[in-house]
Amino acid sequence: MTQITQMNHTDTTMRSFFLVSLCLSASVTAAPLDFPPTVAAIFATNCSECHSEKVKTSGFSVVSADAIRLGGNKHGQAIVPGHPEQSPLVKMLKGELAPGMPMGRTLAKADIAKIEAWILSLPVEQAAKKTDWRWPFEMPSKSVPPAVRNTSWVQNPIDAFVLRKLEQAEIVPTPIATKRTLARRLHFDLVGLPPSTEELNAFLADTSLEAYEKMVDRLLTDTRYGERWGRHWLDLARYGETSGLEGDGAIGNAWRYRDWVIDAFNRNLPYDTFIIKQLGGGDEHSMTRNNYQPDPQGFVPTGFLRMAPWDRSNLVAADVRQNYLSEVTTATSSVFLGLTMGCARCHDHKYDPIPTKDYYRLQAFFQATEATGGPDVPYKDAVFAAKAKAKISELQKQLNEGPEKKELDAFEKELLAKLIAARKERSQNKEILVADLRLELRLKPQRIFTEAERQLHADVVEDANRTQDPPEQKALEANESVLLVKLKKAYALPDSDPAKRFESLDLEDVLSEATAKYSGKSVFSKEEKARFGELSAKLDVYRLRMGRWNTSVLGVQVAPGPPSGPDIAPAHILIRGDYRQPGEAVEPGFPSSITGNSKPAEIITDRYRQYPTRGLRLTLAKWIANKENPLTARVWVNRMWQYHFGQGIVRTTSDFGKNGDRPSHPELLDYLANRFMDEGWDIKRMHKLMVMSATYQQAADHPVLRENPKDPANRLLWKFNRRRLEAEVLRDSMLQASGRLNLEMGGPSVFPPLPADLADFARYGRNGGLMWEPNEKDEDARRRSVYIFQRRSLPLPMMANFDAIVFSESCDRRSTTTTPLQALAMMNGYLSNEESAVLANRIIKETGANISSQIRRAFEITLNREPREEEMVRFTQFAGKLDAVCRVLMNSNEFLYME
Amino acid sequence: MTRRDLLSKSYLGLGSLAFADLLCAEDGNPLAARKQHLPAKAKSCIFLFMEGGVSQMDLFDYKPMLLKYAGQQMPKAERTVGELATFSAAPNRVIPPYWKFAQHGQSGRWMSSLLPNLATCSDDLAFIHGIKVDNNNHGPAVYHTLTGSQFPGSASIGAWMTYGLGSENRDLPGFIVMGDRRGATIGGASVWGNGYLPAAYQGTLFRNGSTPIVDLTPRPGMTESAQRSELDLLNWFNTRHAAERTNTSELDARIAAYELAFRMQTKAPELVDLAQESEATKQLYGLDDAVTEGFGSQCLLARRMVERGVRFVKLLHGAGGDRWDDHGSIKERLPVHCQEIDKPIAGLLKDLKARGLLDSTLVVWASEMGRTPFDNNLVTDKPGRDHNQYGLAMWMAGGGIKPGSTFGETDDFSVRAAGDEIPLRDVHATLLRLMGLDQNRLTYLHAGRYKKLTDIGGRIIKEIIA
Repeated sequence: MTQITQMNHTDTTMRSFFLVSLCLSASVTAAPLDFPPTVAAIFATNCSECHSEKVKTSGFSVVSADAIRLGGNKHGQAIVPGHPEQSPLVKMLKGELAPGMPMGRTLAKADIAKIEAWILSLPVEQAAKKTDWRWPFEMPSKSVPPAVRNTSWVQNPIDAFVLRKLEQAEIVPTPIATKRTLARRLHFDLVGLPPSTEELNAFLADTSLEAYEKMVDRLLTDTRYGERWGRHWLDLARYGETSGLEGDGAIGNAWRYRDWVIDAFNRNLPYDTFIIKQLGGGDEHSMTRNNYQPDPQGFVPTGFLRMAPWDRSNLVAADVRQNYLSEVTTATSSVFLGLTMGCARCHDHKYDPIPTKDYYRLQAFFQATEATGGPDVPYKDAVFAAKAKAKISELQKQLNEGPEKKELDAFEKELLAKLIAARKERSQNKEILVADLRLELRLKPQRIFTEAERQLHADVVEDANRTQDPPEQKALEANESVLLVKLKKAYALPDSDPAKRFESLDLEDVLSEATAKYSGKSVFSKEEKARFGELSAKLDVYRLRMGRWNTSVLGVQVAPGPPSGPDIAPAHILIRGDYRQPGEAVEPGFPSSITGNSKPAEIITDRYRQYPTRGLRLTLAKWIANKENPLTARVWVNRMWQYHFGQGIVRTTSDFGKNGDRPSHPELLDYLANRFMDEGWDIKRMHKLMVMSATYQQAADHPVLRENPKDPANRLLWKFNRRRLEAEVLRDSMLQASGRLNLEMGGPSVFPPLPADLADFARYGRNGGLMWEPNEKDEDARRRSVYIFQRRSLPLPMMANFDAIVFSESCDRRSTTTTPLQALAMMNGYLSNEESAVLANRIIKETGANISSQIRRAFEITLNREPREEEMVRFTQFAGKLDAVCRVLMNSNEFLYME
Repeated sequence: MTRRDLLSKSYLGLGSLAFADLLCAEDGNPLAARKQHLPAKAKSCIFLFMEGGVSQMDLFDYKPMLLKYAGQQMPKAERTVGELATFSAAPNRVIPPYWKFAQHGQSGRWMSSLLPNLATCSDDLAFIHGIKVDNNNHGPAVYHTLTGSQFPGSASIGAWMTYGLGSENRDLPGFIVMGDRRGATIGGASVWGNGYLPAAYQGTLFRNGSTPIVDLTPRPGMTESAQRSELDLLNWFNTRHAAERTNTSELDARIAAYELAFRMQTKAPELVDLAQESEATKQLYGLDDAVTEGFGSQCLLARRMVERGVRFVKLLHGAGGDRWDDHGSIKERLPVHCQEIDKPIAGLLKDLKARGLLDSTLVVWASEMGRTPFDNNLVTDKPGRDHNQYGLAMWMAGGGIKPGSTFGETDDFSVRAAGDEIPLRDVHATLLRLMGLDQNRLTYLHAGRYKKLTDIGGRIIKEIIA
């Protein structure tokens, strides 16, 4: 129990500290509370000995009514104006809340009554919720680096903020890590791979003061950086390439978005532009007076608005649409603003000042967003465009006249003949039904019906299929019943050949019979079905590849609106989030908790008035990517902090709300946010600031403290946080060690092989589509992990075991688990086994037969260090071969952890 | 004071928020057995999931009205929305059940002739009729039934139970899934995923066949002793590494995980070795018949798992074109699928009972939706039934249920609940309660919210609890 008290105490102390400082700034504007002298006297007599401004036990002072309302460290706000029964102060005075006050006792009943009457008389706080947790909604304060004692430790302003808190807590920071550790740390952190021996040696050999800085600069211009940090963003953007639901089909060429993200990081696209392109891409206005078309490249980054799983089987369009809008609103607010607005879809947010209305006002910015289809966006890069063109024509050729195609054609003809024969045979003496009528109507030329009858029937069918409405269905029924009578009569004639109707069967019917998997007896034999499946799967792969190389991208467009299109539906509040229960209509607007009002947003409109529906998303994008927005910069620098330091200053990086974490260093976060904006939202500059700090360069183990009871979670940053490599980094590092990592960048995703025992999962039973494909070239299987195909229902098992599933919701922080399945994958899986064998061969080639040299080289490649003497002895004694040595090293915690 | 207590305390006490998920993953053994919140008999759960939407009115929900209306348009289904309203208003014809219904056992439970073996267990079952699922399509409905949310990414029921209770067996995973050997399930691994819970709680997919765990067997040519000596070297190396470092609980946990993995390599094959079972037992589960052998071996393995202290076992039946999705040819297809599961499930219930395990094992039978009383496809001469998100029927056995009880009733056409509809979250709340878990204490902070299996909370269906 002691543990808990302690923990809660630490938490609440820290929290109330911020609450106090926040509320103080907020109370400047609030009217001071009435504090009648009689009441003030009671406090002065009974409480001020311990709770004066000077002594302030537990942070509580009774100097003024406002100070009393603010409360102390333990319970926060001490009185609830208008509600004595809810006020912690009254409870303590009555002894209902321990400790009773005055300390250990209770106050005289008459005095309590006076205090209760006073609290009751105070105006009820209408906006009580807002004053509770205003910090994220106020502009970052202009904090300056504080003064510290140990100035020599400070490398840059970050350190002043950090050291200040450490000095207050009387903690001495951990000394700087060794050069080897720093090199590994920085490489993992910035490019997602350990240094090669050459990279490390160059750094070790450079004894200049700027050696570390030179390494930072080099890595920030390395293109592997974009792949590493782009992957962080893809987590946030819930990047996936399939729908996740019903068949888990591909959602479109999502990889173009992935490549755009990687490129944006490599080009150091300013963060504000990075946001505007993702939210407002393609929503730009006319630059010329006539028929201006937006830059198609703008559609690629809007893939952000299309990445979520998608229920393509739902027939109710309004439901699909509303689910889409909700997802996009929720993702946008959590990713860019760190607000969990999703809760407000159905009810006012329980913790944060986000009413349901604000949720729908924000959603209204997407009202003209069309999230279907895929706009064509030519490749920007000429070399890449040529490559894509060549690929497509090559694949087209395979599909049209390749050997598989020819084989399948011939085989299909065989099957069709068999199908027709079987159907004819089975059809003797059968009742004539609508299905038969439809078959007869497909025959060319028509034997029974006139062209007019056939055409009319086709029209009626189309109407009925389109609407599913009863009148159309009735019309179809009526039409078919007439035709059916005629058909039966015709078939009754002696010279008729009813079975001839089956000759209208075609290859579609062959396909459905060959792929049907019901339990009943099929016309085709098992072998025939298998062969059909095999042949068509081969062609499917070509078709899928071709689709990936074409220029259609996954992005959103703007619905044109009248006169060229239908009206844009007005936005409504939906009662309980239900699309069937529209409530009050709303205009697009920004969250009132930030702007302080519920006015409609001023939409940036088209100055040539060509596109009245354009500008909604752009308006939202520009409001988010704005120096006036209190959240945007803070949320992003805090995310960067988390990726560099292992935990955010606010640890719930996508929730800055009341239910989220409190910042460990609020002034530092504000300083970084301001500096980031002042420096033009320059991400690489911010990286450099963070990694150049002394805070970042600390070792992971403190020389004296094993644990620090004052700060067990290292929130004050007195050491570096050791952490396990993410799945991608682990896999890429193994491939780099073996020398087989394929650093080719960009393009459609690749398919590292599934474990042999999952091979039959590669095929999906229902629609015949392939779940996992062969690669074009063997070395594609060893591309960097960011290029692995992201199938939501089938993440690569090894990646999933190491917590890299394919995300369906925005993921702001990977979990790092430790499970036996990881151990099995690393002991027995194909990757560690193949790569350790290849590494062993590489070493033998490089060093020859000497065992000591081999072991030395294995350590150097996998761990960037020499083996120690005892290690050399133990590893030499080990009976296993060199590939086993390599496997052990790749399985070691030293390999798996960055520190 | 365990970590779990700490977390739930801090939530209920509204003391320390937000930090729960940050503390969670780093615990030494996330699968250590934990106490139930509330007293309950069930210790393990076997969840039998029939994928595709089982036709409730052909198996358990006897509706004479369907015979009366056979072949006619159904009167409009009142109080339905979305696809079901559209379907029922469109031209359709009521399809009668093609199989004879009779009452069984002391409880007088109506069942059709499709499940003759299960009918002999009818007094052990507790039924719920008229459950409503949030979506009328397979993918979202499967997610909703198995994870409480119609979108992928939520924690599955088994993950929640393992998170709440840990596992009794140190040599095997706490949550095991066995798929249909005919193919992958809709929704894939997410339906047994940990979602936002730590990955330790995810289901481990034992495949229905010769290779139960991916990468469980060492590579060809690797002997046990060679692997042992590799592990010894690794252990030596990792221990030295940890000794020079501080804050090593995670490093230590990884060392332990390798040892568990090594033990699993030897224990898991024993678990799946059905040769140890007597011929009589094998026959009881239908292993001697090609039709029942597939699901029968899944059921028999499930018993062997709960015997060994595995917390949650999920069995999937139906895959690819062989799901319970009988849009057409129901007369031909349904009996085949029923036959595949009837003897195995009855065998499982009888075997558990005979071994005294039924009391401590909660057996759940479910599908992702029910079906409509009518066919909406008029052109076929082999009718079937459409999806019906309002008509899901489920049953449970063992583990603290009230045997022979029934809760809920559907209307005359088995379209939806005759009275209040039963949201799926009520069923989930009941499952948790039967396992001794309190839906409001079993929470996990994710993305700013305390996630629960039952989301906004469900009513525990006390009517089927003993």
